Amino acid sequence: MFSFVVKKLGFIKSIPLTALIFDSGIKLWLSIAEPNKLEWLDTLEEEVLRWESINISLHKFGGTQFNFNKREIGHVHSNGILDILFSQEIKADLIRSGKAEEHHVFKKSGWISFYIQNEDDVKLAMALLRKSYLRIAQKSI
Amino acid sequence: MNTSSKPTKLLGFIISNLIVLLIIGVNRALHVEKTGVLVYSQFVILPMLIGIISAWFWRDLNLKTKTIIGYSLINSLLAIALSYLFLGEGVICLIIVSPLILVFVITGAFIGKMMFRKKNQTVNVSIVSLLFMVFVVDSIADHQYENMVSDEIVIKASPSKIWNNVVAFEKIKQPNNYWLFKIGMPSPMQTTVTDYKYGAGRKCIFSNGYAFDEKIVAFDVNKNLTFDIVGQPQDPEIMGHIDIKRGQFLLKDNGNGTTTLVGNSWYKLRVFPIWYYDVWAESITRNVHLRVMDHIKELSEQ
Repeated sequence: MFSFVVKKLGFIKSIPLTALIFDSGIKLWLSIAEPNKLEWLDTLEEEVLRWESINISLHKFGGTQFNFNKREIGHVHSNGILDILFSQEIKADLIRSGKAEEHHVFKKSGWISFYIQNEDDVKLAMALLRKSYLRIAQKSI
Repeated sequence: MNTSSKPTKLLGFIISNLIVLLIIGVNRALHVEKTGVLVYSQFVILPMLIGIISAWFWRDLNLKTKTIIGYSLINSLLAIALSYLFLGEGVICLIIVSPLILVFVITGAFIGKMMFRKKNQTVNVSIVSLLFMVFVVDSIADHQYENMVSDEIVIKASPSKIWNNVVAFEKIKQPNNYWLFKIGMPSPMQTTVTDYKYGAGRKCIFSNGYAFDEKIVAFDVNKNLTFDIVGQPQDPEIMGHIDIKRGQFLLKDNGNGTTTLVGNSWYKLRVFPIWYYDVWAESITRNVHLRVMDHIKELSEQ
């Protein structure tokens, strides 16, 4: 469903608030079908917010965006897809080692996707975000 | 969560709903009362505002996502109950609107959660400005939407045998199949006419006793019965939400002992957004058609 909407109905995201409304629908559905996933995402948010200079905002296509100062280090959609922008080299390395997958839409970019499907995945997601955090923090020095 | 957070939590429910009720009251008094149109912003922006205001009261409670969704559900039920008590909305209408309200209240609550986080001032300005702009523009904009729904069935009878059953019919006794009719939405029961001719009065009586007053404007025997609705029922489920403008039955002789009966209805929607309400309007109109047309079929095939 998420994949269909993103790929086939992607144009509606240009209508203000539509992506946020769609994301709310996902949250509502998960609160019935997979309530644990919402808890895992809360845990991820709480843990990442402990890092220095990290803040969160609404992602323009729905979900929570993690920012180091004002630069995005990654975002997680409410269905548990974590998206992070890396260099092509890092992306290739992560995919080779099975730690991430091609981005669910932008296959040729440096974006990767990681699917949070169980509680253990939260730690792996956090590790990916930490990698992005350190990379961006280092560039900002 | 300690006991001192309870009053704050409750204020999130009470103040948000009272503010929105006040806005609706002022909006109706100043503008909407003239046309009776319930605009997009009342079903989209205001539920979001309920969520945002609630989030302000809950900003220090560190609520989990599941809790915010649960509280938003309570908030939506409260908004629906207040709409029933103070705005005179019908139960079926409120059932129809409830998914829309719930999703927008949740959206507002999560927008508010981000807005009222410390250091997040930019989102406050941009989102509040956007919502305010949409609300003002939408409230003063002209809203017009009309649609036509058409259905057809094949009846094993000649047009002449069907015709009188089309013009008027006795009470429908079959049980309802459509889920909205089953839970209490009025369904068509009987049609009466003052005469079988052009210009005659016609009444389509619904299960709750309310009736559409109609005037026959085309009476082409065995072919075309068209009637304009001259009096809408004063039913809270319909009043101010949809105006049925015209109805029509067309009979086409198939030349093999069967007749195709086409039922057409034209309506004007007075509730917006269209992308949500027209789906319901089409579904309800279609099921009104089918209930009447199935009854005509049964009578005609006896």
